[in-house]
Amino acid sequence: QERFTLRLAETWGPNFPIFGDTTKNMARMAEEMSDGRLRIRIDSSNKHKAPFGVFDMVKAGQYDLGHSASYYWKGKVPNTLFFTSMPFGMTALEQYAWFYYGDGMELMQEVYEPHNMLSFPGGNTGIQMGGWFRDEINSLEDLQGLKMRIPGFAGEVFAEVGVNPTNIAPGELYTALERGTIDATEWVGPALDLRLGFQQIADYYYTGWHEPATELQFLVNQDTWEKLPDDLREILRIAMRTAAYDMLVQSMHENARAWASIKQEHPNIEVRTFPDDVIQAMFDANRKLLAEAAERDDLAQRIVESQEAYLDNARAYTEISDRAYLNTMAELE
Amino acid sequence: MIGIIMFGVCLAMLLWGFPVAFTFGGVALVFGLIAEGPELFAFMPFRIMSVMQNTVMMAIPLFIFMGVVLQRTRLAEQLLTSMGRLFGGLPGGLAISTILVGALLAASTGVVGASVVAMGLISLPVMLAHNYDKRLSCGTICASGTLGQIVPPSIILIILGDVLGLPVGDLFKAAVIPGLVLVGLYIAYILVLTRLKPQTAPAMPDDSGLSRKQEIVSALIAIIPPLALIVIVLGSIFTGIATPTESSALGGVGALVLAIAYRQFSFRMIWESARDTVKVTAMVFAILIGATAFSMVFSYTGGDYLLEEWMLALPGEKWGFLILSMLVILVLGFFIDFVEISFIVVPILAPIAELLGINMLWFAILIAMNLQTSFLTPPFGFSLFYLKGVSPPNVKTTDIYKGVIPFIGLQALVLILIFIFPEWFGMSATSGY
Amino acid sequence: MRWIVKLDNGLARLSNICGWIACVALILMLFNVFYDVITRYVFNDVSIGMQEMEWHLYSVVFLLGIPYALRTDGHVRVDVFYQGRSDRFKAIINLAGALAFVIPFAALIATYGYSFTVESYNLGESSGDPGGLPYRWIIKSVIPLSAFFIATSGLGMVTYALRVLAGEQSYHDENSKEGLA
Ligand code: NA
Ligand code: NA
Repeated sequence: QERFTLRLAETWGPNFPIFGDTTKNMARMAEEMSDGRLRIRIDSSNKHKAPFGVFDMVKAGQYDLGHSASYYWKGKVPNTLFFTSMPFGMTALEQYAWFYYGDGMELMQEVYEPHNMLSFPGGNTGIQMGGWFRDEINSLEDLQGLKMRIPGFAGEVFAEVGVNPTNIAPGELYTALERGTIDATEWVGPALDLRLGFQQIADYYYTGWHEPATELQFLVNQDTWEKLPDDLREILRIAMRTAAYDMLVQSMHENARAWASIKQEHPNIEVRTFPDDVIQAMFDANRKLLAEAAERDDLAQRIVESQEAYLDNARAYTEISDRAYLNTMAELE
Repeated sequence: MIGIIMFGVCLAMLLWGFPVAFTFGGVALVFGLIAEGPELFAFMPFRIMSVMQNTVMMAIPLFIFMGVVLQRTRLAEQLLTSMGRLFGGLPGGLAISTILVGALLAASTGVVGASVVAMGLISLPVMLAHNYDKRLSCGTICASGTLGQIVPPSIILIILGDVLGLPVGDLFKAAVIPGLVLVGLYIAYILVLTRLKPQTAPAMPDDSGLSRKQEIVSALIAIIPPLALIVIVLGSIFTGIATPTESSALGGVGALVLAIAYRQFSFRMIWESARDTVKVTAMVFAILIGATAFSMVFSYTGGDYLLEEWMLALPGEKWGFLILSMLVILVLGFFIDFVEISFIVVPILAPIAELLGINMLWFAILIAMNLQTSFLTPPFGFSLFYLKGVSPPNVKTTDIYKGVIPFIGLQALVLILIFIFPEWFGMSATSGY
Repeated sequence: MRWIVKLDNGLARLSNICGWIACVALILMLFNVFYDVITRYVFNDVSIGMQEMEWHLYSVVFLLGIPYALRTDGHVRVDVFYQGRSDRFKAIINLAGALAFVIPFAALIATYGYSFTVESYNLGESSGDPGGLPYRWIIKSVIPLSAFFIATSGLGMVTYALRVLAGEQSYHDENSKEGLA
């Protein structure tokens, strides 16, 4: 029986927590399930030196597989934006339902097919925090001219309500926030934020709105996919899907642990949620930008409509199930 | 195995005197073509792109520009000779001034190359003009220029923070004392050496006809403007006006303002400074691109797996593990650059260290100290190439190689001190700081 | 020999044009960064487009600086065997190195850099950040351009070495670096 060694390029550095565990986990499962017929060799960004070249490298077949996040390719293919997480969008559970049982996978395929690739859900960080702020945000007024590191689409939403999105090299982010070169930064969630030490220099930790369910992706080169026999394809598919689910669970675990340690070691950290007028303004800005995107492109319109319809439907059930339960629990105290 | 042979061949080829950058690139090309075929080089545009988007490295051309302008307007010379005069009849004044200026620059940049080249431009001509020993001059400049790697902000510490999962702020704080100790030791070394061999670093000649007091006053006045420039650069970082990278642009514009103030300004001067800057910047980045091709071939032909194997063979007992891992990093530092070491070797050592109950902060500072030495160690220490690139032809590569040896010794001494007496440096050896 | 002299002068001119563009980019970059710091601190205003322009210019500085420095002998050499040797020895080293190392290395990067750029052009790639710069292919195209000019500068090393071997030029003229400029 033929053996295959596939090369995977990940956007992350070696041993990057949670994200890096996901690729290793996937590779291990694929190898064991196939009894060694399918081996996956992982190259981290220190080796290929192109964290944001994963799309191009998998497309051209320089790598068979990639592990990254779809919204990174927004500048290359605007419609890739929708398959990671959208501001005010679905939660992880709702979004997985949309991917696997709604139109999610099909629409994603339509976006990636012209680029000779398949894309699969690649693990979820859970809801991302709204970011670290040096000062409290009490009104829309406080956001005017605020300098914040927030890239991508969420940055555009923030810009609509008066924030100055600012580029800062990741290596200088800590110093920039510490010295007040910028006023705020978003990153991921407690587990990964803890490593950068923001809890030492910013007092306000805002709850999330812009990435309620950040889904990573596995990219597969189309030619590689086609040369695999049916059973190995299925093994790869299951390994990717299982690793993705595992990452969501691991994110929950690690974030809870990190948050406990931040609370204990930095009791000064105050958790805040943006005031209603701020949230409303961002919600409206998000609506406006999505409508603009939908107007420009037919496929974008179909994706936005599919997500909105699915969210409406799923959320109605989330309200009477998860939300109701959490509310019940909250009243117990 | 190909990787190992490649190092040998590269070393042999370098000796012939063809430009270092293209020797790296060319040797990589030959081995890459043989081992993997031309498609391997389809990765090169991505690697070059990642250098282009590494905005932290913008500090290199900007600091070089500041250095060139200060050199051309003779303000650098004025700064150093005046500082040297403050030492009166004491020999070694210029060298100590160089170390102090290097320490200030180190606090404002964390990028390899930026500070070494700037220091080379600013102080090498002055030291040589005052009959300093070539080797001592080169060693002092390389060592004080490389201080930028340990004195925060520092790229090494940021990368180690990322790899080891330690907050950058903690690392920056922990590196301050070791950095200062290093500065102190360099100065002490100069003082001792000039006591033993005064002719290697002659005292500044008296400013004719001035009393000692007048001399000090005029020296202080002369120091203020160029020193103020460096203080502005540092101040802009501490007050958050600029990031460390951006502060180098403030330095460049500030140098132009000083040139205007001293009536040294002309468009011709700017243009010639730009030309020198472009040339030196190109020299630095060509080495980086040649080296990235080299490390690409090294790792894609299995060199990284080989290193992993070696690391996993280290002993599992605390002190044996620590001593051997430090020695291995030191030896690797002779051949491969600190980024590769940080990303390939450190992730393997870290979990073992954690398991042995070693304080990771202390471990990180030991590694940082060790990697800082790798910039100075022949044959591939980048600081040596950078200084050679900006020095006059009568300074030989071997002068630089020999000149840095005492300073490498001092760094090894500090490394050993941190190793044996972590508490002197505000750290502890076991976890749970 | 005459056509070699002509070719050599032409290649030198190409390298010098690269150097000229790199110098302009450097000066623009210096004021670009300065401007961004001032507008952010004094006027509390940030433009991601201007911030991205910084690294665009910085890339031009070193990518076009490299061929320029090849012509002006700005690239550092290890001088153990090289310095103090005859022009003939140096010419042979430079001739062999340019043919074996510089030109093939640059040719490969130019080839792959070209497809890298074309891909970006076909996608209409732009910055993904709010207010970022469009037309990413323009800055990517500097990679194959730089490689192309490195190759022509490499060829210039060859023609210059031939002139030296013919006794018509020497490595102590304008081509050689006495300290800095
Ligand atoms: Na994020
Ligand atoms: Na530094």
